[in-house]
Amino acid sequence: MDPVIVTGVGAVTCHGPGADTLWRAMAAGAVRPPDKLPDPHARMDLPLMYLAPEDGLPQAPGRAASFAVAAAREALSVAGLDPATLPASRTALVLGTCMGGTGEEERRRDRGGADGGAPWTPGFDVVGQVATALGLPGAHTSVSNACSASGFALGMAADLIRAGEADVVVGGGADAYARIALGAFNRMGAVDPLGCRPFAADRAGTVFGEGAAVLVLESAAHAARRGARPLAELAESGWSCDAHHPTAPEPSGAQIVRAMRESLDRSGTAPDAVGCVVPHGTGTRLNDRVESAALREVFAGGAGREVPAVYSLKALVGHTGGAAAGLAAVAATLIVRHATVPPNVPVGPQDPECGVRLPQSAEPLAAPAVLVNAYAFGGNNASFLIREAVPC
Amino acid sequence: MRARDVVITGLGTAVAGAGGPETLLRGPVAGGDDPVTRLRGPGLRYKDRATRLALCAARDALADAGLPEALDAPEGTEGGGGPLVDGLRFGVVVSTNWGNVDTVCETSATIHRAGYTATSPMLLPNTASNVTASWVAITHGLRGANVTLCNGPTSGLDAVHWARTLIAAGRLDHALVIGVEPVNEPVRRLVGTGGPGLFDGAVSLVAEAAPAAAARGARPLARVGPYARRADPDAAVAAVRADEPAAPARWYVPEGRPAGGDTGPAGLPAHDLSLRWGRSSGALGVLQCVAGTAELARTGQAAALASAGGEGDDGAAALLLLAATAAGAGA
Repeated sequence: MDPVIVTGVGAVTCHGPGADTLWRAMAAGAVRPPDKLPDPHARMDLPLMYLAPEDGLPQAPGRAASFAVAAAREALSVAGLDPATLPASRTALVLGTCMGGTGEEERRRDRGGADGGAPWTPGFDVVGQVATALGLPGAHTSVSNACSASGFALGMAADLIRAGEADVVVGGGADAYARIALGAFNRMGAVDPLGCRPFAADRAGTVFGEGAAVLVLESAAHAARRGARPLAELAESGWSCDAHHPTAPEPSGAQIVRAMRESLDRSGTAPDAVGCVVPHGTGTRLNDRVESAALREVFAGGAGREVPAVYSLKALVGHTGGAAAGLAAVAATLIVRHATVPPNVPVGPQDPECGVRLPQSAEPLAAPAVLVNAYAFGGNNASFLIREAVPC
Repeated sequence: MRARDVVITGLGTAVAGAGGPETLLRGPVAGGDDPVTRLRGPGLRYKDRATRLALCAARDALADAGLPEALDAPEGTEGGGGPLVDGLRFGVVVSTNWGNVDTVCETSATIHRAGYTATSPMLLPNTASNVTASWVAITHGLRGANVTLCNGPTSGLDAVHWARTLIAAGRLDHALVIGVEPVNEPVRRLVGTGGPGLFDGAVSLVAEAAPAAAARGARPLARVGPYARRADPDAAVAAVRADEPAAPARWYVPEGRPAGGDTGPAGLPAHDLSLRWGRSSGALGVLQCVAGTAELARTGQAAALASAGGEGDDGAAALLLLAATAAGAGA
């Protein structure tokens, strides 16, 4: 089957806009404390978040939409594609978001109520804003799978190409500050006062981050026809559902193991061909332990086998919700391009019950594929592989 | 990817005044009970209205398809699965635009008024956008792909399309597709109450790979035919009809189609289900497919056309439902 090729990437994080900016932050591996929210209504014990700087971002109705538009413009520019030249019948846009425009609705309430002004729009507004701002033709899909939304969005985007329904699909996700999400995590006691510190022994929860990630995906044949430079291949994804609990992961990790194995099997990739894992790793106690054990089951099940190097992206950018898997995909593409696993951000002593290796200094990517995990409330699990592309 | 036909084998409705899928073309009967009153079980008061409605419709669709209620329970136990249906290969696709907005708005208002400590931890899981699909999966043991779409006017047809794509791609053998929109104070406030009122309910269908349905002896009611999404509604309709010789007997039109638009391409009789059931938003496409499937199964007609999204929307979609018999359950 014709592979699905990544020909463009774009990103917005707390480190600023641009995939290059993200890579420089990854390469530096420095601790960046979360921001204290400048929201007078964020009356909570830990009003902390990794906020994306607004300077230079495009005007769009809503923060998440403006992040997504910036990331999409960058990705299309890197890919060398002009949306005006793309046929509607062979093009699609698939974005995931967790909170969508909820933050805008909250701010409108602050200004005196939701009944005045423009009509309220729910989450799908983000994908619509991107399509409008970029003049991107074709089918638009908004995936609402909570914190794994962009993981499912990228899998759906690739499936559209594999099914022969599209040649070019722009996929990814975006999320921005919404008071309700942070209030809920404060209420559950699931915010770490020190920052997002996945796999740390004394981690106390997660810290959200703002951001967006967009990848331009093409069929290898389409990319070859126009002489595009392949950055990486988005291989197959594996999906499963815990069907266990609305918020907690299923403790045995059976379904996240299944998602990882399905991604490997469908991609025809042996575990030893994976050189790095970008985990879901949020910093919540149970998630990190269950995921670590699942990684060991998938990768370290035999004599002499080890879990590949783990690059814990959320320690650098926070938990970006519906954008998290998209940013992990961009990070994985950069890892493949640079053939380097960057140093993990120091988070303190590692939890001995999280038996995975988190390199503290940069090291060569030992095998050509990077596995990305994305999980969410509701046990919505997606795993996918980014690997070196065979030249078009 | 198109190696497997996808058939619809079960339908469910949770709409006050609807006696079942076959009554959707007739409109509501006055005095119908709120369907969520039929739900039993623990924890109901901590579920939002969209989730309760979806659970009702999902349960009825599974029963209509002859499927057990608990796909993850051992065979032979109460509600347990049979040997031919694997919960690992059974997914859920939910379409909703308003969904859990009641929980989101009420929680947001509570935080605004009294701070986050005043919120109920029992309700916080319901603030996640995928809570309805999650509870359907938990309730019935459905461990395949679980997808929530919040995709505007076309969302319901998109959901049917994505269920078909997931099956055709080999990710699933069976999928429960649910379209749901609740009516409550936040929805009325945010969406507005003008026009023909608001749809308050859920509809569901079971989509299966034709061989999987045949293997368990299921009765196919219809096949999922071509789908297209375009900027222009007429272009979407033309695209799905381009390569399909079967002539649709009915056209389920986008809601709010201007007056006078009561006939479709080539004089097809047009039905705006929103005139009977209210503005259905993300539920519309599934509502059209449930009504259309029931009608195809009843009449033996060759095809039905469903379309959603129109002028002023960010896109339009169309989907053809085809008679079950042309493919045969074992195709």
